[in-house]
Amino acid sequence: MSDIKLDPTTISTIWHSMQTATKEMRHIIDRTCQNMLISQLHDVSCGLWGADGSTIAVPVGLPVQFLGGEFPVRDLVAKYPDDMAPGDVFLSNDPYHGGHANHLPDWAFFRPIFYNDELLFFTMTRAHQQDTGGSFPGGYFPNGHDIHAEGICIPPTRVVKAGVEQTEIFELIWNNVRFAEGVKIDNYAMIASTKVCEERVTDLLDNFGRDTVLACVEEMFDRTERAVRAEIAKIPDGEYTAEAATDDDGTTLDEHVWIRVKVTIDGDQMTIDFEDSDKQRTGFVNCVYAATYGCASGAAIMTFDPALSDYHNAGTMRAIDIKAPLGSVVNCEYPATVGASPVNMGNQIMEAVLDALSKARPDRAIAAWGKHRGDYTFGVDPRTNERYVRTSFDYDGSAGAVWGYDGYQGVTSLTAMGAINRGDMEEMEARLPWRILKYEMVEDFTGEGRWRGGPGIHWEAVNEGSDGQMATGSSDGDVVQGFGAQGGNPSPVCRTYIDRGDERIRVKPHRMVDIKEGDIIIKQSSGGGGVGDPAERDPEMVLEDVINELVSIKAAREIYKVDIDPKTQTINEDETRKLRAA
Amino acid sequence: MAPNPKRLCVDIGGTFTDCLVLDEATGQFSLIKSPTTPSDPSDGFMDGVAKAAKEFGETIEVFLGSIGVLIHGTTLATNVLLTGKGAKTGMLTTQNFRDFLEIRRAIKPLHISLFNVFIPPNRPLIPRSLRLGVPERTLYTGEILEPLNDDETAAAVAKLQAEGVEAAAVCFLHSYANPTNERRAAEIVKSVAPDMYVTTSHETIHVWREFERFNTTAVGAYVGPAVANYLRRLEERLKQSGFNGSLLMMLANGLVQSVDQCIDRAVYFLHSGPAAAPSGARFLGEIEGKDQLLSVDMGGTSFDVGLVRHGEIPTTSESWVADQRVAIRMVDIESVGTGGGSIASIDSLGLLRVGPESAGADPGPACFGKGDEPTVTDADLVLGMLSADFFLGGDIDLDVERSKTAIEKVAKSLEMDVVEAAHSIFTLANMSMADEIIKVSTKRGYDVRQATMIGGGGGGPVHAGFIADRLNIPSVIIPSVASLYSAFGMYAMDIGEDYARSHVRRVDAAEPSEIAALYQEMEAEALAAFEKIGVKKDLVKFRRTIDMRYIGQFHEVEVDVEGGDFTAESLANAAEGFGAKHFELFTFQMPWKGVELLTLRVKATTPNAPFQLPEISSGGPDAGAAKKLIRQCYFGEEFIDVQVYDGSKLTAANEIPGPAIIEETTTTVVIPENYDCLVNANKNYVLTRKGES
Repeated sequence: MSDIKLDPTTISTIWHSMQTATKEMRHIIDRTCQNMLISQLHDVSCGLWGADGSTIAVPVGLPVQFLGGEFPVRDLVAKYPDDMAPGDVFLSNDPYHGGHANHLPDWAFFRPIFYNDELLFFTMTRAHQQDTGGSFPGGYFPNGHDIHAEGICIPPTRVVKAGVEQTEIFELIWNNVRFAEGVKIDNYAMIASTKVCEERVTDLLDNFGRDTVLACVEEMFDRTERAVRAEIAKIPDGEYTAEAATDDDGTTLDEHVWIRVKVTIDGDQMTIDFEDSDKQRTGFVNCVYAATYGCASGAAIMTFDPALSDYHNAGTMRAIDIKAPLGSVVNCEYPATVGASPVNMGNQIMEAVLDALSKARPDRAIAAWGKHRGDYTFGVDPRTNERYVRTSFDYDGSAGAVWGYDGYQGVTSLTAMGAINRGDMEEMEARLPWRILKYEMVEDFTGEGRWRGGPGIHWEAVNEGSDGQMATGSSDGDVVQGFGAQGGNPSPVCRTYIDRGDERIRVKPHRMVDIKEGDIIIKQSSGGGGVGDPAERDPEMVLEDVINELVSIKAAREIYKVDIDPKTQTINEDETRKLRAA
Repeated sequence: MAPNPKRLCVDIGGTFTDCLVLDEATGQFSLIKSPTTPSDPSDGFMDGVAKAAKEFGETIEVFLGSIGVLIHGTTLATNVLLTGKGAKTGMLTTQNFRDFLEIRRAIKPLHISLFNVFIPPNRPLIPRSLRLGVPERTLYTGEILEPLNDDETAAAVAKLQAEGVEAAAVCFLHSYANPTNERRAAEIVKSVAPDMYVTTSHETIHVWREFERFNTTAVGAYVGPAVANYLRRLEERLKQSGFNGSLLMMLANGLVQSVDQCIDRAVYFLHSGPAAAPSGARFLGEIEGKDQLLSVDMGGTSFDVGLVRHGEIPTTSESWVADQRVAIRMVDIESVGTGGGSIASIDSLGLLRVGPESAGADPGPACFGKGDEPTVTDADLVLGMLSADFFLGGDIDLDVERSKTAIEKVAKSLEMDVVEAAHSIFTLANMSMADEIIKVSTKRGYDVRQATMIGGGGGGPVHAGFIADRLNIPSVIIPSVASLYSAFGMYAMDIGEDYARSHVRRVDAAEPSEIAALYQEMEAEALAAFEKIGVKKDLVKFRRTIDMRYIGQFHEVEVDVEGGDFTAESLANAAEGFGAKHFELFTFQMPWKGVELLTLRVKATTPNAPFQLPEISSGGPDAGAAKKLIRQCYFGEEFIDVQVYDGSKLTAANEIPGPAIIEETTTTVVIPENYDCLVNANKNYVLTRKGES
């Protein structure tokens, strides 16, 4: 391939066409699937890998779902060394046995892309299914004692052979999940997306030729690696540490589970080592290595020059080593449970890496985001007498601050990095027997700082359906706060309550409770952490927040050291100067 | 002597105000370009009119008095939105739900990478302090759980007024199911603050999903006063200058309407102008007997792509304009930031990038003599595609040396010479436009290789052939009016409006008589609106559709519905049509799965007055008489001698083999090596790929 003449135009074109193809995959899934989580909330990732597993295009998705995509691709090639063929599609959701899934509801379809009988690429899409079997709908069951309690485990399995659906296998699988009709729609949508990617990539090979396309991919890896190494080299050599915890593991209650990270910068190489993290737990917070790898690398990438953000690929990963001891909560072994891996340990992994790197490079400091306040609520809709599951990201807080900017409003869950959307409440009310009473941002409910976190959210709804159950497995942050960076305040603690008549019942994360008809669920979900000392915040920005009822006059004075006249809504300059001098 | 009756289309763009006059007696078009005047666009409008009158040797009054129909498109609303210069806007919304404009749907700005978090926070068009909740609540069933509290609403309006708010958006939950509370609130605004521009969400779009509906309404309120003031002023100036014909406005949905009909729904003025291009394409395609078309419009800062399928112009409700979600029906045009003014630069990985930054109208490409950044137009010039001394017929001299100096900047980083770098810029611009076309067309299940491309805009005639070559598109039509492409499209547009009603039901539980009643209601509303502007009932054409999806899905597909009585059979046919369309768009369907309907829609139109392009004399295949000169142009990998033709001397049936260049006063057409050109009877250039017929 060395005699291929590559010009910058060809490299750019091939590169962007591959990015476009994977974005188009998500579009196809978006438009056709029936699962709220996938279609409306975008709990889905799509990408393109080389036949050796090297990451080529990962423009849209959740780090935990797909940045570790190289591992299942490599194992798939090893498992089917000789009899993989064009038109094959493989399905897997298994965290173990070569599947490397982060948790069971995230099913992945892999399609090998052949060109003139040669295996050149893999495309994969992984998306959160409406159900994956197990003890409780949705896959976030807090009290399973092994992976089998969490649902059906599908090792890498050929479900379409040379273009022919293997119906018996599918039926075996679908027979083991709830809402099988819905899951079936989503599976077809996902398979269709991989087919479209294959067509796009084949077009590209037809147009430019195999050798040129492959040479361009290598060239992009090299260019990306050089740029990422230059970024790492800007960080002073040394060791930077941080830790983060989840409230508990859902089985042993009220006992934090810690992950601890040491980031070592040595010239242009970064090593992210989780060696002192807690041992793997019985409870469902554990991460397999591929999930840890996805979260840790995603967090590191966030701190690099934003001008590189469109390009990350295998070249990025060459500059980063990620170490996690086997048997720990960040590299668990079969049969450990992993249900809450993305929103619990996954979130902590990203927080810890960002915390450590924020110390290393203040001008790229990024504070923690509001933690996920999710739940799975299960009951019967009296209008149709059908069972339903309600889950969403509507009640999450917002992003944490970054150096230079306040946290972005409304985006949810650090592990999803803003790839996930909220639903429309008009559609939610029509679809589900819950009437929403309040859904607004809240005053003084985010981490303060020179740049503050995005606002926290208050969400409240009344149950107009049957009695049922609610599992708060996907919530966190009642006790442990998200970190603030460079002197910014941490994200406040969150709360979930049930109001039943005159009684107010607090529901902690990782619990399963009964809900009754007429119950009101209240969720208070904090915004992200702050960056920089709040007393250094531009007083005009504090005033604007006061006018917008996002910061109280009291907090303006006590935390931001800005005195504001409540009547005229103006800054008292003298008093502010005094407060800030003190 | 009374002047010939005329028709006039005026398209105000960011740089130029285009006036295209059709002399009804002779069938001849006159093309006039004059500079846009951003501070008061009606000045530029009147300048253009004055220039046109002069061309006809008439006074402005006589000229305007001879205009029967004046169709007008303007980028005013789009510019107001893009530059953040809209009205101080407030919002009345359901209490306890005032933050949807800010929380959005957890959407980061489009086009920002997933991995980039170093971005400023969202600044909603209406700040939180001006978003006031009032007690009221309607349910998804349309039931009013809590009637509007009049006193608190009046107090909220007074508060907005005290804050100096000029425009109000009234946005209540589930108002699509029952607009009573919104209507009442709008009345209160009008009585408490009569000067405030007010718009409601159910009038903006009568469909569900609050973020999309509220945001669209907020955009309408934000641009509303600027649009309304401009239109009132323009109407007055036209009247004073002797105009007594009908003024029709060109709207986002690809239809035209009288000013009174659309002035309260200013959001429909977004994309007014560019949305006309596909109508022009359809007209030009019809002449050649083609109905699968790809309309491309390459201007100074952007490249707009639209499709025509079987003669129909698709619309979408999925648009974003800048960072604002706009959910009204708009002509489905996608825009990429590649135009003649797009700047070439080197990105973080040392690769060439073209756009999205643009040198715009000011300073413009380096060759215009002001700017120093290398642009696509500079590359065109260095490669010999454009003539340095015949740009806009010689109105503007182009400075080749300045282009070369600018391109030198990127050439160094790429380790290329200036010509190689110019060729890379030229090629990359073509590639990214081709990619955009692929994105637009395949996303909608459309095979571009079976389409005919229509190339318009200033840069379209230069680049269209190369883009078509890259996409294996067999034929390209470049109209003589290419540089006034949108204004031309306005001649070919229908008059009308879109109506919609959300009606969420499962197909097996839907009552056909209820659906029939809703269609009748919308059609009666449409007929009443047409009657007001003097259009008779039998001239109105309706197109009914339903948005459908499989039960459980979240996105719908719009399906055609037959007219006349709506029966159980109509519903069954629609459901079947849905399955087929789902397959066409997404490669699969699920006949075993139930279907639900969401929104019923009616598009009501009446044809605009017909017109024809004038025919030119026929001269046979030999184009020798139009040969102008031979120029060195870069084709393939090197400079070669290329024949340049004088467009004004070409006659019908002339054949020109590629590579060649045709120069007209307002347009330069480049015919690539792989195409041959035939001049058709209406003086359009039909490029056909060699070996195809």
